[in-house]
Amino acid sequence: MKVSYKWLKTMVSVPDDISAFADRLDMTGTAVEDISSTGATMDGIVVGQILTKKPHPNADSLWVTTVDVGANNKTCNDSSDNNIAGNNIAHEPLQIVCGAQNFNAGDKVPVATVGTIMPNTSATEDKGHFIIKKAKLRGIESCGMNCSAKELGLGDDHAGLLILPKDAPVGMPIARYLDICDTVFDLEITPNRPDCMSMLGVAREVAAIYDVDFSLGKQIDEPKLDGKATDCVKVVIDDASRCSRYTAAIIRGVKVGPSPQWLAERVTAAGARSINNVVDATNYIMFELGQPLHAFDLDTLAKDDHGKAQIVVRAAIDGEKFTTLDGIQRTLSNDITVISDGNAILEVNKANFNNNKNLDSVYRSEDNTSNDSCSNENNTDAICVPQAIALAGVMGGLDSEVTNSTTNILLESATFSSSHTSRTSRNLQLFSEAAGRYERGVDAATCGDFAQRAAALIALVAGGTVCEGLADVYVNPKELPILNLDCHRLRRFIGADIASDEAVAILERLGCSVSRAANDNSCANDNSLDIYNVTPPSFRPDLEREIDLYEEILRIWGMQNVPLTLPTGAGRIGLFSIEQIRSERIGASLRAMGINETMTYAFASPQDMQLLRLPVPKDQKAVSLLNPMNADQSVMRQSIIPGLLRSVAYNLNHGVNDVHLYEAGVVFSTSEGRKLPRERKMLACVLCGSWHQQQWNETARRIDFFDVKGIIQSLLRELNCQAPRFKVLESKIEANDESSQNEFWLQPGRAASVLVGSLQLGWVGEIHPLVLRDFDVQASVLAFELDFNALLVAANAKREYKDVPQYPAVERDIAITLDTAISCERVEQVIRTAAGALLYNIRLFDVYKNTERLGVNKQSLAFALEYRSSERTLTADEVDKLHNKVLRKLTAATGGKVRGSEDGSEDGKVHENEEGRDDDRTAKNLVENAVKNVAENVLGNIACDGEQSVR
Amino acid sequence: MQEIESDTSANILGAPDEDGVALSDGERGNNTCVNLPQIAKTHDLALSLEAGNQDESSLITVQDLPAIQQAALNAITTAGDSRILDDVRVAFLGKKGSLTSILRGMGSIPKEQRGEVGRVVNETKTVIESALKKRGEELAAQELQAQISASAIDVTLPGRNFTIGSQHLISRLTAEIVDVFRGIGYQVHEGTEVETDYYNFVALNYTPDHPARRSQDTFYVRDLSGDKTAVVGESDVLLRTQTSGGQVHVMETQKPPIYILSPGRVYRRDVADPSHLPQFTQIEGLVVDEGITFADLKGTLDYFCKAIFGNDRKTRFRPHYFPFTEPSAEVDVSCGICGGSGCRFCKGTGWLEILGCGMVDPNVFGFVNIDPNRYSGFAFGLGVERIACLKYDIADLRMLLEGDMRFLRQF
Repeated sequence: MKVSYKWLKTMVSVPDDISAFADRLDMTGTAVEDISSTGATMDGIVVGQILTKKPHPNADSLWVTTVDVGANNKTCNDSSDNNIAGNNIAHEPLQIVCGAQNFNAGDKVPVATVGTIMPNTSATEDKGHFIIKKAKLRGIESCGMNCSAKELGLGDDHAGLLILPKDAPVGMPIARYLDICDTVFDLEITPNRPDCMSMLGVAREVAAIYDVDFSLGKQIDEPKLDGKATDCVKVVIDDASRCSRYTAAIIRGVKVGPSPQWLAERVTAAGARSINNVVDATNYIMFELGQPLHAFDLDTLAKDDHGKAQIVVRAAIDGEKFTTLDGIQRTLSNDITVISDGNAILEVNKANFNNNKNLDSVYRSEDNTSNDSCSNENNTDAICVPQAIALAGVMGGLDSEVTNSTTNILLESATFSSSHTSRTSRNLQLFSEAAGRYERGVDAATCGDFAQRAAALIALVAGGTVCEGLADVYVNPKELPILNLDCHRLRRFIGADIASDEAVAILERLGCSVSRAANDNSCANDNSLDIYNVTPPSFRPDLEREIDLYEEILRIWGMQNVPLTLPTGAGRIGLFSIEQIRSERIGASLRAMGINETMTYAFASPQDMQLLRLPVPKDQKAVSLLNPMNADQSVMRQSIIPGLLRSVAYNLNHGVNDVHLYEAGVVFSTSEGRKLPRERKMLACVLCGSWHQQQWNETARRIDFFDVKGIIQSLLRELNCQAPRFKVLESKIEANDESSQNEFWLQPGRAASVLVGSLQLGWVGEIHPLVLRDFDVQASVLAFELDFNALLVAANAKREYKDVPQYPAVERDIAITLDTAISCERVEQVIRTAAGALLYNIRLFDVYKNTERLGVNKQSLAFALEYRSSERTLTADEVDKLHNKVLRKLTAATGGKVRGSEDGSEDGKVHENEEGRDDDRTAKNLVENAVKNVAENVLGNIACDGEQSVR
Repeated sequence: MQEIESDTSANILGAPDEDGVALSDGERGNNTCVNLPQIAKTHDLALSLEAGNQDESSLITVQDLPAIQQAALNAITTAGDSRILDDVRVAFLGKKGSLTSILRGMGSIPKEQRGEVGRVVNETKTVIESALKKRGEELAAQELQAQISASAIDVTLPGRNFTIGSQHLISRLTAEIVDVFRGIGYQVHEGTEVETDYYNFVALNYTPDHPARRSQDTFYVRDLSGDKTAVVGESDVLLRTQTSGGQVHVMETQKPPIYILSPGRVYRRDVADPSHLPQFTQIEGLVVDEGITFADLKGTLDYFCKAIFGNDRKTRFRPHYFPFTEPSAEVDVSCGICGGSGCRFCKGTGWLEILGCGMVDPNVFGFVNIDPNRYSGFAFGLGVERIACLKYDIADLRMLLEGDMRFLRQF
């Protein structure tokens, strides 16, 4: 809501300190969103007179002018004194190059002299200001600017210069001449304050804040009266739930033309465009009083035999066509309320009409002559209804619009239902000042009085006479509520010591009438004395309950005066649920492993899952938005991976090649018949490049499948999960589909599903190259996506203590050469089964592939086995026996060849397990030999001469 | 072998003996050089012993003891490293060592002389052992020193990578804020991101035509249940525009006292630009208890602002309107850059808006069957992205969703 300070000052006494005033509004609940000045920043812009106008020699559309700006005339070089107060410099016209076409020599125009900061920029926005400088335009020097209205911030007219009246005194500051020094506040009016959507409301609010009086300010003389409104128009409200009051005033003999300056100025200050005197007058009243008005050209409305017009407020008929004054033909629905005249020429299919029950009864009950004009009276399938002339509260119709030739006006001042108006403007995407006010609620109690003030204003600015009274239908006037105010409870609720008389005074200042509640018995105590009956004014429909009064009292009394305390209630404890603790641990573990948490859009493109090639169960659909921001974000994501792949691409495109990201977030899916979709929290991770760049002491190892697998294993260990299983994941697409290999989101052979027991956690693998191509990722990406809640389920809160080993372990290695088709998991399983309980630990320490030495499709796996008993020290014999059994069973089960058993000489060369062991042995020998030699030398020396000559 | 410097020898001799008494050169000399010949003469023994199976020709007798002792001490003094020293020990005291040979030959010495010979041999042994020990310690110290010197490194070379991943700024802040409230007895409740109109609007006392419901502001989801709504383009199902709906879920299922915090992602139809995102993070707080006052709300949020922004910051409460609270307020925290005097960051006001709050509207209690005459409560909601902006002055909020490693690694 735009509020002109100048206007406001005519209604209520306000402080001169604008920022103090804005602060006060802020602190009482009316947020000041912007403060802009008009006029105040027009220093340097003065009234000038064009002396000469010559075509620019180098440009077709430019003019070279000389302009007399009176005492402000100066040479271009004299920019030292920009003061409009004038000095003694010789009056010399300015040469100004000008692009406007609408002027002649002799015209008076606003001239911005050199150094002027142009005003058309908001005070609080930090835009650069446009400063007038001396410049050469196509070779001709220009010392200022002739201004349009828009350049002065006075309107949208940018077509040409603002031509001033002939009597404008040359040299006078334009702000003073136009009297346009003003400050405009843009106030945020909260939805509960429909009353503040007017200057009257704001003035009333300001008066309450400062405890001063207010008035309407503008005096409008009583108009000349002629005839009675009720003789000219009859109003019928078909459905009272859509319109609680409708008043029509009649003004005859108006002359539509430009508005007087004061009117245009105020309408402009309020944020509207000045159109003509009649429209401006209706807008003025809307801004002044908050009552939306609509002026119909009375002569375009159908009349009965007595020349009486009829206004019917009715529901629109489904499919009804109507052309609004913007020239657009719209198809209406039953939810929309229309104003129609008595001109029943609209043919409607009876089937549709029958749905319109209210109208049916009203219309038939009327002895309506306009039925005669219905061309299709005898058609039983169609019925005639009155022609719509406006969409109630939203927009008028093209046919009944006030034009320059209009002389008689029907002025509508009504109260339409906020919900119908709101839905209509939302459905038709038509938002206007009027609709906005109806949406918040318009006071029915005052709409008649306001109509009469509007009629008087029209007569004042457009001439003519006003018909006495109004055609006024007011259905069920609302009774004002009487609210209780218990000041003792107020103080208890706010936690501040607000004096009762102060509370009462505040409510009275806000327009409430307050009386002490009658004591109904003799046992009156202090509290009962503090109870009051409060009747809020009709313009405050938001004051419905005692609590609403508390808010009013608190905001005017001052929230800043309320002390700071903390709730004292007992029996509460701040803690995390076990799931929250686990969620924290999951994040902390992944970060400990070097992965960075990120967030991506929950929105997705409908193509994402196809691009990702991640199969979605047939009954699951993407959750789609009815009003997405754009096509690429029109559904909710079904996987986090596409978003993460985009982040990988983003990083690669910005030269970051090592990318380690995870995100824990929700994915969405739905199915036919569902209202709310399924939301599944997932944990997704993408890794690309190396863990770090090449270092002086560390190589930059590429991240591979076993990094990402290891991350899952470590994560599950940290969550105390049972060890996960990684099952080979294969494309399940029909065998006859040859492209199936390419319709898989992971690279076949580098893909696994992750299970804990029978619980599916998700998948891990290397993203398929074709997917990477489609997401513009130029590097290989390892990824996993796990079900977050499954992780939480798999996590185990109970940790069991086991004795640390008391007896020593005996270690034995196994190296077995076997087909690559036999999985490591299988080999390990055989070993474990064969070894039984004494096998304490098993560790794969080498995988060796060499086609020449081992053969095609063969590999050698080397395991270190740790045998240990928790009860005794194992003997070498029993371990050897057990180990041999393991070897036997292993070869039998896998068809593998245990290395070392027949071909032991090569063993050490193939698998260099614990290489230190051999080295140690060698070192020991070397030492022994050295000592021997030294000892001999020493003894030799002693034997020879006993001298100290050991070297 | 390395040469032993003379001052090192002096050190050996000057080092404390086994009794802990330091001997001068002279005393040490007397002890070793004088006594041994005497013993030999007194007993006039001729010991003839085999040095070992391997070397039958070399016989060592008790008369050789002084020479052996001298030779041993010489060898010990000149031993250049602990390995040589050990060889010396083996040569004299080892299984086949010269002194050991004498002891081994004791059997052949007359019984009455055995005690005396044994004493002398043992004395010699003690002297040698003591010298060995001293020299051993000396050499060990030298060698350790040498080893340490040799292993000196350039400690300014970069350390190895143990890169810890970073937490996303928003979840970091969320956790920080949750922690502040957990400290004063709040628990966390999380809800779903897709909500029904009822929980997002109706039960929060929004009128059916509240502007927030406009499809310009709220993302509506295609409702597959077949239900229809009055306004074209709207739906009964939507992406929650606020975590406030969590309030309703909590109050439906829990009885007061309720002290909860509900963090989560919310959605509003804003074009993503430097200062807006269509999805962001909100934290909703709710307290319902007996005797909760507006002063409690002020105190709680003032405590929160000081905990998050610093103790020197002030708060101010401006009356505002929210459908689900009455009275309602917006909370500003004093600008941390200018300290409240007004600057570019706070647009000259000295204050930064951070959250909205208010006392729970009795109508909301009505939706969840909590008696407003017995209980009162307050609710507040804050945008984590906004706090991130205020704390870190982030130039472009879209950075939060790009996954740029260079951005993420800063927090």
